[in-house]
Amino acid sequence: MSTELIKVTINGQEVEAEKGAVLIDVCKDNAESIPSFCYYKDLEPQASCRMCLVRIDKMPKLQTSCTIKVTDGMAVTTRSPEIEKAQRAMGEFLLVNHPLDCPVCDRGGECELQEVIFDWGDVEERFNEPKNKAPEKYLSPIVANDPQRCILCKRCTRVCSEWMGEDAIEAGNRGSNTVIGTYGGWLNCSQCGNCIEVCPTGTLLDGVYRHETRPWELDQTITTDVYSSDGMQLSIGSRSGLVHRIVARDRYVNGLNGEFLDVKARFAHEFINHKDRIKTPLIRYSKGGKLIPATWDQAIELIAKRFKENEGSVGTIASPRLTNESLFTLGRFASEAAKGPVAVDDRGDMSAFVANLSAPLATHNDIRYAATILLIGGEPEEEQTYTAKQARQAVRNSGAKLIVVNERPINLVRNATQFVHIVAGSYDAFVLALFGDLADPDAAKKLGIDAANLTACRKAIEQTNGDLVIMAGCELSPEAQAVIAGSAGNFASDSGRVLLHPLPLYNNSVGAIDMLPNAGTAATVAVKSSALLVAGSLQNPDLLQNKDFVVVQELFETETTAYADVVLPAASFAEVDGTFTNNAGNVQRVRKAIEPLNQSKPDWMVTNLIAREMVVDLGYDFSASGVFKKLAESVTAYEGLRYPALKDESNPVQAKYPVEQGRDLSAAISGLRKNVEALGEAGEKNNETPRVGHKLHRLTTMTSKTAQFHLLANGNPKPENLLLAPLEQFEPNGSPKSIGLADAVAVGVSDRTNPGGR
Amino acid sequence: MAAATPTSYTDKVIVSDEVAEFSPAIVDEMKMHVAKYPADRTRSALIPLLMLVQRERGWIDNPGVNFLAEFLNLEVTDVWETATFYSMFNLRPVGRHHIQICKTLSCRIMGEPEITEHICSKLGIHPGETTEDGKFTVSMVECLGSCGTAPMMQIGFDYHEDLTVEKVDKIMDACP
Amino acid sequence: MEIKAIGCEPLQLKRMHIENGHTLKVYQDTGGYVSLKKALGMAPDAIIQEVKDSALRGRGGAGFPTGMKWSFVPKDSPKAKYIVCNADESEPGSFKDRYLMERDPHSMIEGMIIAAYALGSQTGYIYTRGEYKYLIDIMDAALAECREAGILGKNIFGSEFSCNIHTHTGAGAYICGEETALLSSLEGFRGHPRLKPPFPAVEGLYASPTIVNNVETFTSVPQIIEMGGIAWRDLGTEKSGGTKLWSISGHVKKPGVYELPMGYADMEKFIMEDCGGMLRNNKLKAVIPGGSSVYIMNSGQILGKNVTLDYEGLVEAGSMLGTGGMMVMDETVDIMETTKNLTEFYKHESCGWCTPCREGTDWLVKIFNRISTGGGRPEDAQLLLDICDNIEGKSFCPLGDAAAWPIQSAIKQFPEEFKKWLNVKANGNGVEANV
Ligand SMILES: Cc1cc2nc3c(=O)[nH]c(=O)nc-3n(C[C@H](O)[C@H](O)[C@H](O)COP(=O)(O)O)c2cc1C
Ligand code: SF4
Ligand code: FES
Repeated sequence: MSTELIKVTINGQEVEAEKGAVLIDVCKDNAESIPSFCYYKDLEPQASCRMCLVRIDKMPKLQTSCTIKVTDGMAVTTRSPEIEKAQRAMGEFLLVNHPLDCPVCDRGGECELQEVIFDWGDVEERFNEPKNKAPEKYLSPIVANDPQRCILCKRCTRVCSEWMGEDAIEAGNRGSNTVIGTYGGWLNCSQCGNCIEVCPTGTLLDGVYRHETRPWELDQTITTDVYSSDGMQLSIGSRSGLVHRIVARDRYVNGLNGEFLDVKARFAHEFINHKDRIKTPLIRYSKGGKLIPATWDQAIELIAKRFKENEGSVGTIASPRLTNESLFTLGRFASEAAKGPVAVDDRGDMSAFVANLSAPLATHNDIRYAATILLIGGEPEEEQTYTAKQARQAVRNSGAKLIVVNERPINLVRNATQFVHIVAGSYDAFVLALFGDLADPDAAKKLGIDAANLTACRKAIEQTNGDLVIMAGCELSPEAQAVIAGSAGNFASDSGRVLLHPLPLYNNSVGAIDMLPNAGTAATVAVKSSALLVAGSLQNPDLLQNKDFVVVQELFETETTAYADVVLPAASFAEVDGTFTNNAGNVQRVRKAIEPLNQSKPDWMVTNLIAREMVVDLGYDFSASGVFKKLAESVTAYEGLRYPALKDESNPVQAKYPVEQGRDLSAAISGLRKNVEALGEAGEKNNETPRVGHKLHRLTTMTSKTAQFHLLANGNPKPENLLLAPLEQFEPNGSPKSIGLADAVAVGVSDRTNPGGR
Repeated sequence: MAAATPTSYTDKVIVSDEVAEFSPAIVDEMKMHVAKYPADRTRSALIPLLMLVQRERGWIDNPGVNFLAEFLNLEVTDVWETATFYSMFNLRPVGRHHIQICKTLSCRIMGEPEITEHICSKLGIHPGETTEDGKFTVSMVECLGSCGTAPMMQIGFDYHEDLTVEKVDKIMDACP
Repeated sequence: MEIKAIGCEPLQLKRMHIENGHTLKVYQDTGGYVSLKKALGMAPDAIIQEVKDSALRGRGGAGFPTGMKWSFVPKDSPKAKYIVCNADESEPGSFKDRYLMERDPHSMIEGMIIAAYALGSQTGYIYTRGEYKYLIDIMDAALAECREAGILGKNIFGSEFSCNIHTHTGAGAYICGEETALLSSLEGFRGHPRLKPPFPAVEGLYASPTIVNNVETFTSVPQIIEMGGIAWRDLGTEKSGGTKLWSISGHVKKPGVYELPMGYADMEKFIMEDCGGMLRNNKLKAVIPGGSSVYIMNSGQILGKNVTLDYEGLVEAGSMLGTGGMMVMDETVDIMETTKNLTEFYKHESCGWCTPCREGTDWLVKIFNRISTGGGRPEDAQLLLDICDNIEGKSFCPLGDAAAWPIQSAIKQFPEEFKKWLNVKANGNGVEANV
């Protein structure tokens, strides 16, 4: 869309608009909003609901404002008896077969159909024939479906193919029998739930939230996703200390991700109020003994005492899930109180990438409108789902090039314009070949691809006309990360920018790098220490074996707490204020939706209590904002940031990372060379496309607390009876429950209403 | 007309991964269809191939759908969305002889009602039903382009026009 | 059933009664593919000009000037171009295309090849409704003959021009006659219409320039090339050139396919004499002159009114030419019943894409069911008209309008018929229906 401004007349008022903008948007921006259902800004136009009809001078018939691009001098009427009649007529038609059961509908109060109709008031009920019937049913453990309420705007099917590239849900049948569904009536997909989100009515429903409360009874708290490193903004719906649901509905939140969320962000929130949360501090008085509930005072006293005894060898290990505030506090604890080493236990550490930037980090919007995207390693469709969506749409809706370099044909390859399929473990060779000053001659051989493939890739990058985004997966070696981040800048041209996009695994992996710049690994720190403060749980708990004294801050008892002498109850992301920093360097707010449960406290507060007991004053005033002010003063990239500056989630603030050209990468490059020489001849290729959801549906301490995830993790079996909640029909392991389902109600009888029709 | 349940019959399909098999001759016939379209547009062959599957298997069954999904590299749901749109595709089994009586205006005013009445009472079934022995299915269909020779019916793909009760008897008695 | 020309030499129907007229041999013996040879010697633009001169208007129902449509195809597009023959003939009352394909398939093929040459297309598809299976077999045979004889394939008649044509089957969906829905279907998707613009001539099949024309439109092309556009036009009228096929059904003694020059006078003579008059000599009650998607006419609009049979004449008389599928009804029919019948058709064929057509036709049928089972209410007439008004002009594609017109015109032209039904124990009190 050009930014050339033109003049359009709306209801006699002349206004300015961007040339080529969509009329319905222009009207909205000028306070002449037009009712619409099938129109959705981020999707291909559909023009099927016919709700947005307007009159345009010199055009026959009413026109759908969702398909008209404004031209200079266009004169539009959006309000007139003729138009109101047409719009009311569409509303009436949509209600013809729509049950009037708003009082019992989960969308009551949030339903766009309801709003449009109520806005008119006085709608006379002229339809008094029998309505078409259809039973409520389930499409999956977490997607419930009431077909009668469907207005066939097809936002769901478009989201499924355009955003997710999955085509899992489609329209079937014809005419007034048209239904939204799947072959076999069961949804086998990543279960992102975006179809539920964009549904304007109560047709597709959140099977986890189902019938829990009425939407308007919920307090909405805007906060940041606790799973993926994309930093998706979402709204927690809570009521008197209970978290009921998570949505990204634009009436509540307008983050970088719009209404997009994934299965974990949207549904895996039941851990928050889970009964197994650690309720009080716990003390194990003798090794091998049981953990006994204790008071905070007892626990903190004991910890301070034992840490003093181990003076000089107290290590600190932090989970990259914690807030910046907590990580920063742990860092200060390590240096000022414990005077020992600190580690971040990140499965995919990307500090080498972030430390060597030769180009700015890409925002997710930059990715959506990039001209070329180079993805080296990673599996964003499973780990950084919003990044994957932006890349997919860049290709599908904006004609971008997507080059996927991977050891496996990951699902995203289906949307790629080029796939460089290298042999397992040869990323280093690829990076050396592509970024090394001169392309390593036998790299191609080691990669198991023909050189043409490499040159094609180089060409595509060099001929980019627009922005080039280079993404790197966290499985790449530190050397490879450094070389990519450090030499990307060389591809800069006057036709567009070069932008970098790391793909770490945790919600605050990047923040952890910023807060604890010279952190070691859990292993190194564990070896050096006889006593440890662990915030979160470890990939490898056995590191804690036969330590003198171990303190763990956790939500749940885990293999890590099994080694703990003291366990301190931490508050979940829904119970704390703070910030996370995402893979675009956006520093975003985490907000307290409910009070900390039981006796739990925010991690930073817990750590601070220990420090204070060890008579080290971190100078905290016991507010998260105060902690943030302090960290902003000491972390240069965050300089000048304060909570008020982070208030508006709709324009996220990017931390200021040092971007330098011509970094000295000789060390990294020779490192790469060594790795590559160590590589044997090209081995077998992995040709297996992983199952959709193989990572998203994995059971973890947090996701496993949402019962539906057990069914997903166990192959999402199709139940006998689609009318009954799958959880009532299956054991968590996916085996059918033995309740008399033989005589369960059969779903669906006829495909056509034509009498005897085929 | 009874309000129908818009949930699809195909919801009841327990989607198995059984894939239909076809003789080399049939597969060649399918390839012949695919060859009509640009190499990157093979989905164009979906409807012709659904026709073939129905011809060979009597209806659009699950193994048949699985076959097409594999053959044309589509999702089963892609096959489903297309198949359920077109009224000629049987989404459930039909009798050996599928009697399709045109019910649209010209046939209607030229005597379709007696014909339908006659056929249905002769077979003892209603439109949309199949006889016990699975020999006949009777369907009412929209205009088949024989208005000038109304009333008419199609059995399988064969046109039978200018129908009279006697003529109908002859035709049906001749059905193996 | 009659198949004959009246008031002109059989042109479209030239080979209808010649034995094996569908074979290449007979076709060539009777002057077939002469026009193609001639065309291959002409400049593409000259061909388009001839078609323009001929004032040929699309025979598929919309009546869009064919020459003009062809001239919309971008000359310099790098994309492949496609020719598509619309042989979906599903309009109730229309069955002319069927006989053209059955007895003279080569005329259509020749027309398509000429069009392909004129528009620089290498590929053509014949989209035929699935129920016409036996016609697809006939056309496959004809196409095979052409490939044999070098009339299709590489270097047609030794010229530089190469082109191939394939058949494609539909599977039972009236909407797939609508050209953009046809293209969706041809791509293997559900038969939903697409947004226009872009028009198919610019972005059609596989997003490439595509010309969609009706069977009869294509069969006219060889004649136009043979006799020249002007001469062909002069068979008919200034505005509607050439001859037109009419499909006559219903209560006439001699139903069938008739070829008439455009502007034939008059409709009454045609029905009462040419078609042998009314069956059982009953009185004429109503005529739907152009296939189900046009306004119904009562006898008063026809008898003694000298209605000429061409686009303008029928509009003047209060209806439309459409596809020329004329359905004649005598006094024995009940117009409420016939209107219900057609409404059921449109409900069944609505593709379900857009709200007014999908829900509107469903609602209309429910109302008609109530009326026909004695539940008619005085206010129903007004309700029916208002629902039609809410569909007409607001639907995504013209099928919505087509569903509304029969009802609107029926209530307008036959108020008594509806009164009868809406008075039937309208809540027992037999109030006058305000039709
Ligand atoms: C609902 C609907 C059904 C149609 N059915 C047919 C058809 O069966 N055959 C046909 O040739 N045109 C049909 N048309 C017209 C086509 O859209 C298109 O105008 C025509 O094929 C163009 O060819 P022509 O210019 O030669 O008529 C239909 C149009 C609509 C709106
Ligand atoms: S009017 Fe709408 S629903 Fe009806 S056929 Fe056209 S697009 Fe489909
Ligand atoms: S919003 Fe324009 S037609 Fe639906």
